[in-house]
Amino acid sequence: MKMLTRSQLSNFLTGFSGKIVKQFMLLLLFGSVSFCVYAENLGTQKTITNSQSQGTSLKWLPAYALPSFITEVKRPTWINNAADWYQKKSVQGDLQIHGFIGQSYIVTSHNDVFGNSDKGGSFGLTEAGLNMSFRPLPKLLVSAQVLSRRAGKGNSGMPRLDFAFLDYRLYSHEANQFGIRAGRLKNPFGFYNDTRDVPFTRPSILLPQSIYFDRTRNLALSGDSVQMYGDFSHSKWGTFSTQLGFFFPIVNDKDTRASVLEGLSGRLTREPSYIGRGIYETNDKRIRLAVSGVWLNANYVPTITEPLSSGALQFSPIYFSAQYNAERWSLTSEYAIRHFAFSGFNNQKLDDTNFYGESYYVQGEYRFTPKWEGFVRYDALFTDRSDKSGKQWASENPAERNGLEHSRYAKDITVGLRWNVTPEFMLRAEYHHVIGTGWLSGLDNPDKALTNKEWDLFAIQGSYRF
Amino acid sequence: MNPYPFPYFVRIIFIYYCLSTYRFFACRALLTFFLLTASQAFAVNHYEVVINKSVGESHISAHSLRSVFSMHLKTWPDGTKIRVFVLADDDPLHQIFSKEKLNVFPYQLRSTWDRLVFSGTGQAPIKVNSIEEMLEKVTSTPGAIGYLWRAYLNENVNALTIK
Repeated sequence: MKMLTRSQLSNFLTGFSGKIVKQFMLLLLFGSVSFCVYAENLGTQKTITNSQSQGTSLKWLPAYALPSFITEVKRPTWINNAADWYQKKSVQGDLQIHGFIGQSYIVTSHNDVFGNSDKGGSFGLTEAGLNMSFRPLPKLLVSAQVLSRRAGKGNSGMPRLDFAFLDYRLYSHEANQFGIRAGRLKNPFGFYNDTRDVPFTRPSILLPQSIYFDRTRNLALSGDSVQMYGDFSHSKWGTFSTQLGFFFPIVNDKDTRASVLEGLSGRLTREPSYIGRGIYETNDKRIRLAVSGVWLNANYVPTITEPLSSGALQFSPIYFSAQYNAERWSLTSEYAIRHFAFSGFNNQKLDDTNFYGESYYVQGEYRFTPKWEGFVRYDALFTDRSDKSGKQWASENPAERNGLEHSRYAKDITVGLRWNVTPEFMLRAEYHHVIGTGWLSGLDNPDKALTNKEWDLFAIQGSYRF
Repeated sequence: MNPYPFPYFVRIIFIYYCLSTYRFFACRALLTFFLLTASQAFAVNHYEVVINKSVGESHISAHSLRSVFSMHLKTWPDGTKIRVFVLADDDPLHQIFSKEKLNVFPYQLRSTWDRLVFSGTGQAPIKVNSIEEMLEKVTSTPGAIGYLWRAYLNENVNALTIK
């Protein structure tokens, strides 16, 4: 196994030496840009301290303190009022605005990920988000986020409403809390799903795809929902936090349809679904354990020409997550068992679809200094856990499926490095060696016969947040 | 046979020499010990958790303090808003405070806050750029909580004892 990996690695290195030089140049470019940003920051800090030392710190001047030629420019009073209000609220922290942007460069051998990454690399993954939260009353929080994601053919970059909801705290005593949220909410499962689009909160550029599929991401990401939450905290044992929700999933996107309804041309409608997660944390947050479950329902409406009746899809995964955090290193692992079932299609083949998928990963992170971090990960996905090699699946339809067994699994070894240039700006790079194409997007790789079983992926990313 | 190979005065000098060396080492050990405890005392006692004068609390449990700085506990016992102020992640006082008083590493606080902000389920603490700004903000913001080096304490803020 070791030998095999090594020979593949050397093949990759010789085959891609030209590209690697290119990537290195790019990294240098990123580095110089980041240095410029850093230097600029130093400059501004200096000027700020200078101005402070002269006793002229920046302040929000009331209108009467300004010279008359400024106040004579007629601004509607509501603009002034709004600006004053905003200033007051944001100074007190009741109104907060945050955002992020991330750009990745991805190059792969053989298969495409987020654009034509196979032919000379692509800048196909751009993520940006803007979020606002406001606390008008001590117990009430309103928050919303708009997200744009440009990733291959699955996501065009069209901004969409990621979440928008009200959070009301019903009960609060010492460290115990209990409340309710309503609106469009992130689906709480695993350690990373709630914040998977924010590069800073992810351990890597691509999250472990076995658990956090980017293919059916919008289905899993958020839903229109009502959630109850509670934190039960003990001064010695730690905190147990739960979220339980009822939601309507978001089913009408291209990638979800392409991967869930292979070869069908109808549409999906959403049905009531349920989600829940419990996280246990010790008080020092060294040990974190979580169990989450989703019971997702959708209906299929066939087109008039299809000889099908409207069927039901049920997707019910259960996730187990564990993490240990030391000062220098963290160890994280998640395991999922995912049940898929189709019924009521009035078609023997579809109605027989009933299987369990299995996914897991183990990941080690090491913080060399607060600025430099590295990680190693092994990630495995099996579409059907009773047929891990895909042979049985191929034998059901040898004419079309022979040689495509690798589309039923994926084993991914990843190493990566992260550089926190400033608290707001981060650069990172990672290398994947993948056996199997289980999580490749069908939209980016329309002809399955052209996909390769063994492939490599190299990615770099720069990200800024505020 | 004489059991002592050296004359009497040589022995005396030798013993004195030994004693003085011993004393030297003992003194050094004591001094080191005192210095260590002194620096420990410096680390523990030279900063305080401070609150705005409007908050009617005089003490808080370590457990509730952790919950406040994790941004889970949002209101004071009288129902008013808690407004949390922190220094930058790499500031020495922030690091000492989070390790000693909260018993968590600064990177864990950061990831807790990021999870809240980017899932919309909570807000981040308000970042101040200097210890002077911390004093100014805690003094002027109702419901504020923060931390200060002792040297910066004055009558405009209240220190909070941790039980």
